[in-house]
Amino acid sequence: MKLQTLKSIIEKKKNKSEFAIITNLTTGESEIFEKDKPLSKEMETYTNQINKLFKSKKNGIIENTEIFVETYVLPIKVIVVGAVHIAQYLVDFARSLNFEISIIDPRGYFASEQRFPDMKIINKWPDEAFKEIETNENTALIALTHDPKIDDPALQHALKKNFYYIGALGSKKTHENRCQRLKEAGFDNDQIDSIHGPIGIKLGGRSAPEIALSIIAQLVSETYKK
Amino acid sequence: MKNSFDEKILEEAHDWVVANQKVVLATVIQTWGSSPRQVGSRMIVNEKGDFSGSVSGGCVESAVVRECIGLIKENKPYKKIEFKVSNESAWEVGLACGGEIAVYLEQVN
Repeated sequence: MKLQTLKSIIEKKKNKSEFAIITNLTTGESEIFEKDKPLSKEMETYTNQINKLFKSKKNGIIENTEIFVETYVLPIKVIVVGAVHIAQYLVDFARSLNFEISIIDPRGYFASEQRFPDMKIINKWPDEAFKEIETNENTALIALTHDPKIDDPALQHALKKNFYYIGALGSKKTHENRCQRLKEAGFDNDQIDSIHGPIGIKLGGRSAPEIALSIIAQLVSETYKK
Repeated sequence: MKNSFDEKILEEAHDWVVANQKVVLATVIQTWGSSPRQVGSRMIVNEKGDFSGSVSGGCVESAVVRECIGLIKENKPYKKIEFKVSNESAWEVGLACGGEIAVYLEQVN
């Protein structure tokens, strides 16, 4: 691989674009494929097959050829509500797993840059904050404040937008009350049951990093289920 | 859904190049049967044999390192190697899991 190609791959990853690396295994030549951008003459012949692999987000050799395609997809967006202690550990796990985390917390003393260096923190109420983030059914929500004033609007947004993972911290009792409030707000049982609450897989630990681990484990597992 | 559970190997490869090291990328391009790592998995190797990342669960890494050093010494741009089921008595290196993998080696130049 040419150093120049390597550099542009890293640049594209940084800029959060989706692309593929196409390598001719018999010549060692590689190039970058992007949607709606022309390929070199040599690779043009394989446009359909490359597009197919790109759309299905797969890596592999195009059948009966020596052309290898490696697709790079965007990291999954995870919205964390509550810049609390657990969130600090979630940020670390998310970094190594390449989830793209945004933290929402209207409470300035929690959402400080000193507590979360190099993080995107939106110091607003969820309803306002969601105007700044594009979300869809491939987005995940982790609600950590267990304060209905902050968590509930975020949960409602996530349910309406059909997020693939919604988890909310809190005891069974807290969660029962939460479900009741969502019911009164007009959400049906299927929607309410889709919320993971109490959040996380059963690990047994109670410390902040342990809870963060149990949440991130559940998130990865649900990502593969979809 | 696929997330880019990315191991940042290419970024590390770039760091090595910047530090004036010769770097070979080793990428899993094909698998047959049960293989420990999926297609697209990658490791990098320098001329001293330092490596990062993985192409198997530790089964064939030593052989990949040797091949990569060879590639640098002979100044070849690329090479494809395959690993098959191991036979403990006959081979040092192989995939104990019974799978087969093809690994593509290419120098960064």
